[in-house]
Amino acid sequence: MRGGRLPRDGRGSAGRGTGGEAAAVGTPAAAGRNRGAGRLLIAVYGIFAVAATARAVFQIATKFSEAPAAYSLTALAAVVYVLATVSLAKTGTLWFRTSVAAVGLELVGVLTVGSLSLLDPVLFPSDTVWSVFGQGYGFVPLVLPVIGLWWLYRHRPAAQVLGQSNPA
Amino acid sequence: MIVDGFVIAGLIVCLLSTVICLGAAIVRQPPNDITILSVAAVEVFLVVYLVSAVVRQSAGQAVSGEGWEFWGYLVTALLVPVGAFWWAVLERSRWSNIVLGAAGVTIFVMLVRMEQIWDGAAAI
Repeated sequence: MRGGRLPRDGRGSAGRGTGGEAAAVGTPAAAGRNRGAGRLLIAVYGIFAVAATARAVFQIATKFSEAPAAYSLTALAAVVYVLATVSLAKTGTLWFRTSVAAVGLELVGVLTVGSLSLLDPVLFPSDTVWSVFGQGYGFVPLVLPVIGLWWLYRHRPAAQVLGQSNPA
Repeated sequence: MIVDGFVIAGLIVCLLSTVICLGAAIVRQPPNDITILSVAAVEVFLVVYLVSAVVRQSAGQAVSGEGWEFWGYLVTALLVPVGAFWWAVLERSRWSNIVLGAAGVTIFVMLVRMEQIWDGAAAI
């Protein structure tokens, strides 16, 4: 691969370690959201989108009647992860808002389901993505929305306009 | 889960790939031959695992758990290194190496799950 393929835009090379902030300078608003570390975030959301979707399909197809609430939540989690993955990868203010909604819903979901799964184990048998704050997935479902919201806050469209007029 | 040669080999290949990719990211390298080949090694391991699973299956040593869950995992796992490669080379930054490194971790977790299913663990 070496030398065989140039970075698409000439900005993706090594040494621009500060990532989004550096990439955002001189680019249209909100363009830095899906670059640099944002691509890692999208990749991790993508993995969870696939995992949650597959699990939801499996649970609903084979044993939905055993725990309808829990398995519906897996399906909801799958939708949230797919929406977060797609919206994080897209540019534009509308997709930014969609990202905030999806990632915010994920945080609310993991906190609510995590708490309820501890308080009422019968309602939520520990086999949803969000049970016990995502314990089955190394607590990544708990950490991911926090990082995601922080990333979105740092790359909010208004901040980038400010950043261009007042480089810091 | 029985810790057999596949688990040990998978652990070594996946861990090595992740360490190489994360190390390259730490020294601020974009994806290069070494990191991409380490992910290719993960894919080769999965192909070997696929072939041996087909051989074991057809030799009468069938999956103890849900068969279609096992094969679903395996087909998905085969796509992960390819997807990571595609996503990483679209933008060649140091972060792309962490994306490549995430493939190794993901595959090892999926391998553990596949081994559990093979040995007859209940479906999740």
